[in-house]
Amino acid sequence: MSAARAIFGSSETRFAYTLLLPVSILLAGLVAYPFGYAIYVSFTDRVVGNDGQWIGLGNFHYLAQSPAFWAAIQNTVVLVVASDVLKLAIGLGLALLVNQRLPGRGLLRSALMLPWAMPAFVAFLVWRVIYQPIGGGLNLLLTASGIWPEVVDWLGQRSTAMPAVIAASVWRGFPFWFVSILAALQNIPLELYEAARVDGASAWQRFWAVTWPSIRPVVIVTTLLSSIWTANSFENVWLLTQGGPSDATIVFPVLAYFGMQTQRIGEAAAVSVAMLPVLAILVFAGTTMMQRGEDE
Amino acid sequence: MKRQALLGRIFTYAVLGIAVLIVLFPVYWMIITSLKLPREIYRTPALWPQVFTLNNYRQLLDDKGFLDNILNSLIVASAVTVISLAVSSIAAYSMVRFRTRFRGVIGRLILFAYLTPTSLLFIPLSILMARLQLGNSLYGLVLVYLTFSLPLSTWLLQGYFRSVPRALEEQGMIDGLTRLGALIRIVLPLSVPGLAAVAIFTFTGAWNELLLALVLITSESARTAPLGLNYLITSDVLPWGPLMAGAVLSSLPLMLLYFVAQRFMVQGLAAGSVKG
Repeated sequence: MSAARAIFGSSETRFAYTLLLPVSILLAGLVAYPFGYAIYVSFTDRVVGNDGQWIGLGNFHYLAQSPAFWAAIQNTVVLVVASDVLKLAIGLGLALLVNQRLPGRGLLRSALMLPWAMPAFVAFLVWRVIYQPIGGGLNLLLTASGIWPEVVDWLGQRSTAMPAVIAASVWRGFPFWFVSILAALQNIPLELYEAARVDGASAWQRFWAVTWPSIRPVVIVTTLLSSIWTANSFENVWLLTQGGPSDATIVFPVLAYFGMQTQRIGEAAAVSVAMLPVLAILVFAGTTMMQRGEDE
Repeated sequence: MKRQALLGRIFTYAVLGIAVLIVLFPVYWMIITSLKLPREIYRTPALWPQVFTLNNYRQLLDDKGFLDNILNSLIVASAVTVISLAVSSIAAYSMVRFRTRFRGVIGRLILFAYLTPTSLLFIPLSILMARLQLGNSLYGLVLVYLTFSLPLSTWLLQGYFRSVPRALEEQGMIDGLTRLGALIRIVLPLSVPGLAAVAIFTFTGAWNELLLALVLITSESARTAPLGLNYLITSDVLPWGPLMAGAVLSSLPLMLLYFVAQRFMVQGLAAGSVKG
């Protein structure tokens, strides 16, 4: 029994809820209500200037027949899976290397975190310039070094546009993985490695027996967060390609924004609501993992 | 064995060196392009400019009014940071110190809010703001930015407050402080590194936001920095020079801040958003 409870008794509960009131009101008004409203609007034929009527699944029927919508599904899946895999591989690999006792390690870590500090809109604008056929740095490096003699319009052709978007997204996103995994690695007691070494475990065995079990929760949470963020990232595609060429890089958020621009609000809302089922699973898994981590 | 260790070291530095080069190249290209004359950008691209010029910056600030955009961004990001720190620190304190019945549910809802993406909310939020007559204003922007800043800062601050020993607070209350007094005089001062990290996360989150600004802001005078740059590339001629000048101006302050406060940020990450 704490001293505080003895002094304040049950008025303490009232106080506790009072402190939670502002955040609850703001989040109810700015997240919960709009969330429900988005779902409602997706079942109406609302346009700008006209609230529209309930049309049931009309918008979803329309979307199911739209090639752009299927392209968005496919591109979003490709973008999320490819970026997650690459960010995990790069983030984990670099974290393992930096986690050694190395001279200059702090500086290396800071340098590798740099893309994280760069605002996303800046990063993707810079990559847009780098990918340009005229004045772009990538073509300059490739032609000058002789690796690839021809100038490529990376963002302008279907075959390279998506890989280019993925590469830029990985560049900007890997530091979050790198930093998270590195923090987890540094929490592993050195004695565990010593013990494994005494038992004669090889580097590979030490990784699977000691390292991986220790960082797995972090990797899972990071994968969930990163998947949610990547599936909903707008800046990368919008600033690099605006979904082009001919829908080769169209993703859900950009498609929804286009719907909004053409003033067909109901359809636009249906686009973002259409990804809700998958999103809900990821969010539910994510919150469960994060709360479990908190209680430990 | 020694040879093997040496080879390992060489391999490590080689890989890390390449990674650092790949990380730095876009930053380098941004800076160098912002300092080049148009003819060097478009006709004879090179790794090092023949002539350095500040023309791009002059053009951006004088002709495009980018200083106003930066100012708008500063106002919005600062307001969001102050409001969310105030609101979320009392909420986080309540979550950490009191074992109320709905604590678990509220914690979960805050996480849900944190993970609810802007791409789902931007349509209803634009309708809502229009109805509140806040459609094309910085006030509206501040309000909608709370959708992502409040859950994040509440979640992160819980991690920091949990590490403040309860005994210190109780001692303070025995000495005559109220609960609120204990929060303000004891818990907050002891959490300054955490508050600083959360402030930086919140500030950068608001500073970087594009989609909501794009949907809500229609008048040129209310544009934020990302919005100003976005409208540079939707014009017919793509002015790479001024664009990269704008990129430098809107990212260098933040990158410096991250560099200085890096230790806090990494701790913040470990304490809050990703717990292993």
